[in-house]
Amino acid sequence: MSDLIGYLVTGLGIGAGFALVASGLVAIYRVTRVVNFAQGAFAVLAAMLTASLLGAGVPHGLAELGGVTLGALTGLLVGAVAVGRPGTSPGTSLIVTLGLGVLAYAVEIVIWGDQPRSYPGVPGVAELAGARLQAHYLLIIAVTVPVFALMAWFFTRTDPGRALSACASNRYAAQVVGIDVRRMGLLAFTLGGALGGLAGVLTTPVQQVTFDSDVALIVNGFAAAVLGGLTRPVVALAGGLLLGVAQTLAAGYGGGAYQVEVALVLMLTVMIVQAARTGPVAETAR
Amino acid sequence: MRRWIPAGLLIAVLALLPPLLPERHLATFVLLALAATVTVGVSLLMGYAGQVSLGQASFYAIGAYAAGLLAVHGVPPLLGLLAAPVIAAVAATLLGAPLLRLRGHHLAFATLAVQLILLSLLAQADWAGGAIGLQGIPRLSIGGFELRADLGYAYAAGSVLLIAVLIARNVIESRAGRGMRAAATSETAAAASGVAIGGYRLAVFALSAAFAGLAGGVYAFYLGYLAPGSFPVLLSIEFVVMAVVGGLGTIAGPLVGAGVIVLLVQLLNTLGTQPGMPGYAPAVLSYAVYAVILVVCVLYLPKGLVPAARSAAGKLRRGSA
Amino acid sequence: MTAVVETRDLTVRYAGATALDGVDLTVHDHEMVALIGANGAGKSTLVKALSGLLRPDSGTITVDGRLAQVPEGREMFGDLTVDDNLRLGGWRNGRGGRDTTAIYDLLPDLAGIRTRRAGALSGGQQQMVAIGRALMARPDVLVVDELSLGLAPLIVTTLVGHLRALNTGRGLAVLLIEQNARLALDLCDRAYVLEAGRIALHGRAADLARDPRVAAAYLGGHIEVTR
Repeated sequence: MSDLIGYLVTGLGIGAGFALVASGLVAIYRVTRVVNFAQGAFAVLAAMLTASLLGAGVPHGLAELGGVTLGALTGLLVGAVAVGRPGTSPGTSLIVTLGLGVLAYAVEIVIWGDQPRSYPGVPGVAELAGARLQAHYLLIIAVTVPVFALMAWFFTRTDPGRALSACASNRYAAQVVGIDVRRMGLLAFTLGGALGGLAGVLTTPVQQVTFDSDVALIVNGFAAAVLGGLTRPVVALAGGLLLGVAQTLAAGYGGGAYQVEVALVLMLTVMIVQAARTGPVAETAR
Repeated sequence: MRRWIPAGLLIAVLALLPPLLPERHLATFVLLALAATVTVGVSLLMGYAGQVSLGQASFYAIGAYAAGLLAVHGVPPLLGLLAAPVIAAVAATLLGAPLLRLRGHHLAFATLAVQLILLSLLAQADWAGGAIGLQGIPRLSIGGFELRADLGYAYAAGSVLLIAVLIARNVIESRAGRGMRAAATSETAAAASGVAIGGYRLAVFALSAAFAGLAGGVYAFYLGYLAPGSFPVLLSIEFVVMAVVGGLGTIAGPLVGAGVIVLLVQLLNTLGTQPGMPGYAPAVLSYAVYAVILVVCVLYLPKGLVPAARSAAGKLRRGSA
Repeated sequence: MTAVVETRDLTVRYAGATALDGVDLTVHDHEMVALIGANGAGKSTLVKALSGLLRPDSGTITVDGRLAQVPEGREMFGDLTVDDNLRLGGWRNGRGGRDTTAIYDLLPDLAGIRTRRAGALSGGQQQMVAIGRALMARPDVLVVDELSLGLAPLIVTTLVGHLRALNTGRGLAVLLIEQNARLALDLCDRAYVLEAGRIALHGRAADLARDPRVAAAYLGGHIEVTR
């Protein structure tokens, strides 16, 4: 029983990380209709910078903030290349973000090398209803939940947030009322970069990061986001948590094997069921 | 008659070039021909079936492991090589039946997921060598004649490429090929003209997997050793880059795309391994090349090198006439 | 009388085809002007060009003051509340110009539904929101693209009443693009007839309503086609 609670909380912690990556994907997709393949790279860059800053004696909090800021700036940069040119189709933009994700590898190796990196998070072991788990998982959950609440507030209660929601809801009408949809796309990429950066910064103490960790992050993030059709942040949160718990349970009771498969098969099943329900969506890739 | 000129040219290059190459460049030739073979399939899939596969290296791996495992268990290597494309195509058919209901980025992620699952399964499969890899794959032998030198594999890889190109050309010029072209541009239009899109799409998916599997088979015998790490997701992305850069929906496109990129990466690799360069230089340079070429190409040459060159040549000719 | 909107020799082409061909059109302040024409005559292109969403190939557009658009099909932000829809209408004004209170005084019907999702409203309610959203921009001229399309006659009457009140009470100029030519000619002072991208006729609305060519093409036994 205490095993189960331990797995559950650990899973929620891991899942919260997926949910943050997913929410970044959703923030970008809603506004621009672009699935941002470089989303995992934001997390990796932010985590690497945080590791360096901590190594240089910058205190916790400030170092993490530096990482998230780098994520946001990278997001803006990726957005500028991917959607900055008028007339770029979402399919083309997806391939551009794919290329920029690979470019990030080159940058990361030059600056930080190709060895895995990590840094200490919240030290110690927490006891929860008899279950023992790394205390840092509780921090991940404790940060993620308010971040999602903050996002809900931002999208519905502030004017820039409303404008982003407006672009997501009706792009043409947004242009009619004078919203610059391209600038909103860049704002969405910046926000997505910050969220991806936050995911990397939070999860690195429990899951060391390598330059090519982005593939696992983006796939898990996409899997979480796809549950809500890539447009609903709250469903992405639920999807991320579900995915995290499913993986930890599979790892815990399956002896460590097949946890990757569980998440991916879950994602494939969801997508195929969705496609069977709605019929094939006519979207061209390029 | 004219339609045979490009094919003749390709045969001439594949037949005459390898003996002229110095030994150290033969390895590049082999890898280029194999990459081009896979890319012919990717280009067919993207240009003629309108689908992005970010998991094409899975079928390369399936073909390689199929040939390697069969050979390790005593099956004659040539038989193993012939089985590789068949097994890859069967796997693609089984996977494609559910997956090809998906479109666009959903299919892209689904194919990526398939590759990650495959890599994870292979790493855990002791019967396939696990994470350490499958060792002791015998060399390819054809009729008692064993291919030892790189030159033999250069011809094997060249033959495989030629087969892929000829099949792809016949598919494109068939009625089914024109139907698929229609399906890639407009599903509704294709459906209206009575083209059975789903079936064609699955057939192209299986065919592109067969090309990848065949190339993978040659790769297995050439290296004699296979590990999950030989087939990273990045390899799948590289195939997409080659297809996009060369130009989708043409036969010459994947050949030019694979050629330009493999040679460029090789050149930078030579540069990166010069004394005085940091140890990470070759990897960094190759990532940067893939990334920059892909981004610049999709933004500024969206049709790819071959169609762009053709239209430029066409303009020149009209201009001078 | 000064012109709030004036186009001179306005020409727009799409992929080789000419959508608008040398259009001269003027809307003076305090004026209600109708633009009628068949489907594909170029009405939507003109609206987009006036709103700055489309760059003309040649000719000029002069807008003296502020122009706001009530788009065809209402184009709601369906996932957002009525109040948020209105608020975004004032986007160009900056933070200070996004207070929606005045709109609820002008269009009291909206006050009761301010927290509802715009996507869940009836067509008539949505059209009211679209007008309110355009008014949030504090326009000098309102371009209304297909006011009556798909709406019940009683609702159209209410909306027309609001437009008339805005015109007489606040001096708002209106350019009304309508398929229902009789409605447009009854309501407006002057009218233009757009045919194949050109202004075929223009003049006082009352005169055009009696013009046999207009009667034959746009009024005679004309049945409103709903989408």
